[in-house]
Amino acid sequence: MRYSFFKQDRTTIIVYLVLVGLIAATSLLSDIFLTSRNIQNLLRQVVPLGLVSVGQTFAILTAGIDLSIGSVVSMASCLTTGMILGREPLIFPVVALVIVLALFIGFCNGFIITRTRVHPLIVTLGMMSVVQGGLLLYTKSPTGSVPPVFDFLAWGNVWIIPFPILLFAAVATAGIFVLRRTTFGRYVYATGGNEEVARLSGIKTERVKIITYMICSFTASLTGIFLASRMGMGDPLVGERYMLDSILPVLIGGTSLSGGKGGVSATIAGVFIFAILSNALNLLDVSAYWQWIVKGLIIIVAVAFYMSKKN
Amino acid sequence: MAENIVEMQKVSKAFPGVLALDKVDFSCLPGEVHAVVGENGAGKSTLMKILAGVYRPDGGKILLKGEDISFPSPKHAQNCGISIIYQEFNLIPELTVAENIFLGREPTKRGRLIDTPVLKQRSKELLADLEANIDIQSRVKDLGVAHQQMVEIAKALSLKADIIVMDEPSAVVSGRELQSLFRIIRSLKESGKTIIYISHRIEEIFQIADRATVLKDGQLVGTYYTKDVDKPQIVNMMVGRSLTETFPPREVGDQKEILVLNDVCQGNLLKNVAFKVNSGEILGLAGLVGSGRSEIARAIFGACEIDGGKVLLNGRPVKKTTPKSSIASGIGFVTENRAKDGLAYNLSVRKNLTLTILDRIKKWFFVKEAKEKEISKNCVNEYGIVTTGIEQEIQYLSGGNQQKVILAKWININPSLLILDEPTRGIDVGAKAEIYQLMRLLAKQGTAIVMISSELPEIIGMSDRIIVIHDGKVMGELSPSEATEERILMLATGQNIEQDQKKEKPLAL
Repeated sequence: MRYSFFKQDRTTIIVYLVLVGLIAATSLLSDIFLTSRNIQNLLRQVVPLGLVSVGQTFAILTAGIDLSIGSVVSMASCLTTGMILGREPLIFPVVALVIVLALFIGFCNGFIITRTRVHPLIVTLGMMSVVQGGLLLYTKSPTGSVPPVFDFLAWGNVWIIPFPILLFAAVATAGIFVLRRTTFGRYVYATGGNEEVARLSGIKTERVKIITYMICSFTASLTGIFLASRMGMGDPLVGERYMLDSILPVLIGGTSLSGGKGGVSATIAGVFIFAILSNALNLLDVSAYWQWIVKGLIIIVAVAFYMSKKN
Repeated sequence: MAENIVEMQKVSKAFPGVLALDKVDFSCLPGEVHAVVGENGAGKSTLMKILAGVYRPDGGKILLKGEDISFPSPKHAQNCGISIIYQEFNLIPELTVAENIFLGREPTKRGRLIDTPVLKQRSKELLADLEANIDIQSRVKDLGVAHQQMVEIAKALSLKADIIVMDEPSAVVSGRELQSLFRIIRSLKESGKTIIYISHRIEEIFQIADRATVLKDGQLVGTYYTKDVDKPQIVNMMVGRSLTETFPPREVGDQKEILVLNDVCQGNLLKNVAFKVNSGEILGLAGLVGSGRSEIARAIFGACEIDGGKVLLNGRPVKKTTPKSSIASGIGFVTENRAKDGLAYNLSVRKNLTLTILDRIKKWFFVKEAKEKEISKNCVNEYGIVTTGIEQEIQYLSGGNQQKVILAKWININPSLLILDEPTRGIDVGAKAEIYQLMRLLAKQGTAIVMISSELPEIIGMSDRIIVIHDGKVMGELSPSEATEERILMLATGQNIEQDQKKEKPLAL
């Protein structure tokens, strides 16, 4: 197969150039940035953000959005630790159960969106509230525990590469591959590009949308399970920030909210830009509140840039 | 001779791939009805949109009452007294008639508050002037198109417009409603307004206009007093060639009954529609906009469901068709509105071309990319699609080339039946001719083609049989030799030919 990672459209190349520029600038500004310790640290931070953003890319490519991602992350983390409670033999059944439950939530999102034609923003916002509420009924404070083997997920190394990096690389590659090479990937672009055209071309657009929301929830559940391993316990509020944080890298990468344009490789650049920016601002000792302001402005500037390019 | 109220000098405008206007001169006198005629794509609407400030031209200037106002913004044009009434009205469906008339210019009291009594009073007066019997409190979405048109005219009058441009008003109203529109135009003219009337229906121009400006392929043919010219002369100027030349000679393929519609009903849009389609022929479906033509196409293709009746494909009844099943049984459907449901505009030419055949070029879950590229390249060469390459996003292609991509996408499925809804709308003459050739070639090879069109010359020139639809019913079938624009229009406006022959008898409603 003649597959090339470098076969990208123009916007994606620009995003990668920005990323390279950012890395160069940060390494000049801070001596610590390029230390192996900081890089490992950075990569481990990238993983949860990257996983949810890959899922979100699918939803946004179909001109949808998934706001329930954050609560699914929290749910996955709490249920994993809460049900395993340190018992090693339960790891696989519990993880499987959590993933199935997340897929079911994704299915519900997709099913309600396609049947009722209510905007995904509303449906997934409602679903976020439902899942979060259910989770807070289950536990209000950090809960559960995991056996030592489970630490491997967040802290283990394969040879010298941290395992979470491999996990993220696998998910991202799968995402790129599915979107680029499979018929389903093409259906996603077509549905986002023009749903009626896709439907009239014989594509089951409703099914496509349902599957994208299941992919979203799936990546969210992986993130939750990963966070459970990283913290050793489940936190019912750990996922909160991912509702917005999963969307921003996708937009920075140039994927259009109106659907049909963009992709996972662009999102990955967005994830790194977003993470390095946080990392750099931390290293430069910029207060968290200023960081919010900077990130907010960057996202507006980025999307305004894509809009101006479009016209 | 009076002063021109408006004068456009050497106005040019280019769109990607098309020179829409080429140094066109145009002028109007106060108190005249001036028709602008030409085929679709001749540049009529573009010229008017430049006058109204919607488009910025590439060259030329505009004089209003002798003063250079080149080139206003839409707002500025409005303030100068130029109002334009589009085919697709600029009304907000959820607001009432009165609110729409004064939208953005609501009469106020104490600075900020809307003065509702004045708003209502003035709307009532405006509509009374037009002798239009419309409740100013009703919402625009509940009005018929003819009434919506009245609201637009009232809005133009409320702007104290001296020049009112009407963009193909007869495309949406007909018969009695058109006559009452003409009455209003005449009374506006008497009160000194200038009306610019865009149309491609020639009879209307002789009924209503003092002068007519003829455009063809973006160029000015000339401006004439309607009393000095006759209909064939205008047609000749519009078309610039005799009609038969544009259309390929009629050659039909093997004729076999392929599709039968039996009493197909859908809500109150389709009423007992029945007709047959044979392989190897082009069947023309004529009718006014909203007559149910497109609904018939959508019903056959399975893009919407039907309530009653039967559709037989190759002699077998089809139950619960979906686009997917229709494609599998060899039906292709080129929709009316390219932008809305014709193409995925931010996808590449390649991805648009293969959307219908992904199932045939996949292995397991994967698209065979090499195969896909080969097919796409072949399509681009075979149909002469002008693009920088198969990876070009389709939105950057000209209308004609976009349409060729859509046609190719459906020809790729090897259709036994191809439904074309307005296949040549908004594309230039050259591409039109190519599409006609292609349609004829397909028919010759045995494909059944159902062509829906609002352009009567196209219907008459291309079809092997013509079916006329009115109000969701089949009004009659004509052969191309017996079809004339008048006869089709007669049927399309619901006047039966037999009834028409006994003219003394009053028309029953």
